[in-house]
Amino acid sequence: MEVGRSTAETMLSRASVLLHLWMTRKMIALGLLVLGLVGVLALATSREISRAPTLAAVTPIARPTRPALSPVEEVFIQSLWPIHGEVQRSLMRTSLGQILYKTNDLSRADLKARMEQALVTYGRAETGIRALEPPTSLRNDREIYLDAVRLLRESVVEAMKMFKDGREDHLVTAYPKSQEASDKIREVGGKFWPNEFPPN
Amino acid sequence: MIQKLLRITTILGLIALVGGLGSADVLRADDDRDRDGQRPPQVLPSGFESTDRLLRDVERAERAPLYSAWIVESSRFMDVPFGGFQPDKASLNTTVNLPVNVGIIEDPDGKLTLYDSGWKQLAYIFDWNSSCCWKGIRDQLTAIGHDPAKVTRIVLGHAHWDHAGQLSEFPNAVVYIQKEELKQIDFFLHYPVDFNAGHIRAVNTVDPLTGAQVGPPAQACARTPVCGYPPQTVQEILGKVLSGKAKIVDGRHEIASGLVIHPAFRGHTYGSQLLQVNTARGQLVFGSDTYSSWTGIRDWLVANIQQTDTIQQFLAYEKCYVLASRLNSFHNCVAAHEPTAYTNDYPLTANWWNIPNGNCSRAAELILAPGKTTHVPASPNKVLCVNRTPPPHTVTP
Repeated sequence: MEVGRSTAETMLSRASVLLHLWMTRKMIALGLLVLGLVGVLALATSREISRAPTLAAVTPIARPTRPALSPVEEVFIQSLWPIHGEVQRSLMRTSLGQILYKTNDLSRADLKARMEQALVTYGRAETGIRALEPPTSLRNDREIYLDAVRLLRESVVEAMKMFKDGREDHLVTAYPKSQEASDKIREVGGKFWPNEFPPN
Repeated sequence: MIQKLLRITTILGLIALVGGLGSADVLRADDDRDRDGQRPPQVLPSGFESTDRLLRDVERAERAPLYSAWIVESSRFMDVPFGGFQPDKASLNTTVNLPVNVGIIEDPDGKLTLYDSGWKQLAYIFDWNSSCCWKGIRDQLTAIGHDPAKVTRIVLGHAHWDHAGQLSEFPNAVVYIQKEELKQIDFFLHYPVDFNAGHIRAVNTVDPLTGAQVGPPAQACARTPVCGYPPQTVQEILGKVLSGKAKIVDGRHEIASGLVIHPAFRGHTYGSQLLQVNTARGQLVFGSDTYSSWTGIRDWLVANIQQTDTIQQFLAYEKCYVLASRLNSFHNCVAAHEPTAYTNDYPLTANWWNIPNGNCSRAAELILAPGKTTHVPASPNKVLCVNRTPPPHTVTP
């Protein structure tokens, strides 16, 4: 019985040593695993930081702002607005008219009618703009706008020759003037009505 | 007697067989009709493509040559209210900076196709106080190692001014635009103003009753069918038409093997169109403002409402999911204004860099065809910068 007890104690003692040893090994392995994971995490973090864009907003230059308009300037710009609208719609109708004519979606007669109407509109716009009295600060802009309307009128006159001689190359000849005019109108429009065409 | 019975049975069998075939035909027709019957009631026939048809396009494209693709940032809208970008998230009550992306697609033979053409200079930039980083597209192409002279095609996702603006910079390139896009502008230019004070017709109208200005500062123009197309932009399209360099498309159109236009009518504008591109990472689908937001496609949120019909935008999202279903799924949808573009958050665009002397504009290499050399610099500059200085403008009377 004693022997059995002693054997049991020895076995228990051995088991305890083994368990202790095993626990130590387990702890070491666990420690190594944790260390490894921390290492991987640190490496990944440092990589992500180096790859991500540096959000260093370089904004040394202040946003340009338009100086406040004087009451006289405001009145001039407001008075030009309805004329501007008429001119732009007319230009759009003739531009799209030519495109749709070329794709056989608009008749020759309809294109002619649009161009005749445009001539009336441009004539009215020219008279209207000349009647406006701009302040000195905006005189140059008025001249740009007037020049644009003149170019548009000349462009339509050239294009309408196709209805007399049937040659569609008049549209091609007329085009540079209307393109230049549209650039000028956009330039003045952008200055007078900065939010006219908001982000789309 | 037995023979008689056999004869009757044979005749009855034949009748049953013929009847069966007939009804099979009817069923087959029903099946086909069901496929086409997926077309929602308000989708134009030329704007509809069934899932099966799109998958056939994938199969065809996979036999085509592989293309390379990049995007460049034509400009950047700064401080845009979040609700104006993704209405579903308006409650975030914050602002975002939105790139205006242009796609660059290279054929196996080195020819370039642009998807959209960015802003035109002049007044948009001159007095637009909330923009950054504009640079001419020709300069951008050169700076990232492409020859602008090799641009042979420009596919316009839609014709708004910030996406169709530099056409005249490429006199030899052929422009692709949907007829529907042009017809709708023309239609609404004529729209009566009697009962809507010009809010539908727009383009700088005056209230017929009060004489008050419609448009800025009321911003009526932002939501109407005509708005977004200044005469200058339409003029540039006209220039292409008159010089024989425009293809007015009606619906789906295969430009070249592996390069296919898909209609997305009212996904943003009436004549919006997508571009499917066959690449080594599967089908890329460029979407302009129909795919304004990539996170919007991922999370099924409507974005950049403007003239958008929300269900049409979702149907267009679905087209990307179908076309890219074999590889990468929505990761292959290329968005025009995604704020996470040029970061790791939009993985397709993660390989980005600042364009040298590009006024803070950025470029990203999306995918290279096998054997092609990268355009990413050896040490890419990835320091995000902002420059709101307007570029020079020189219009004189």
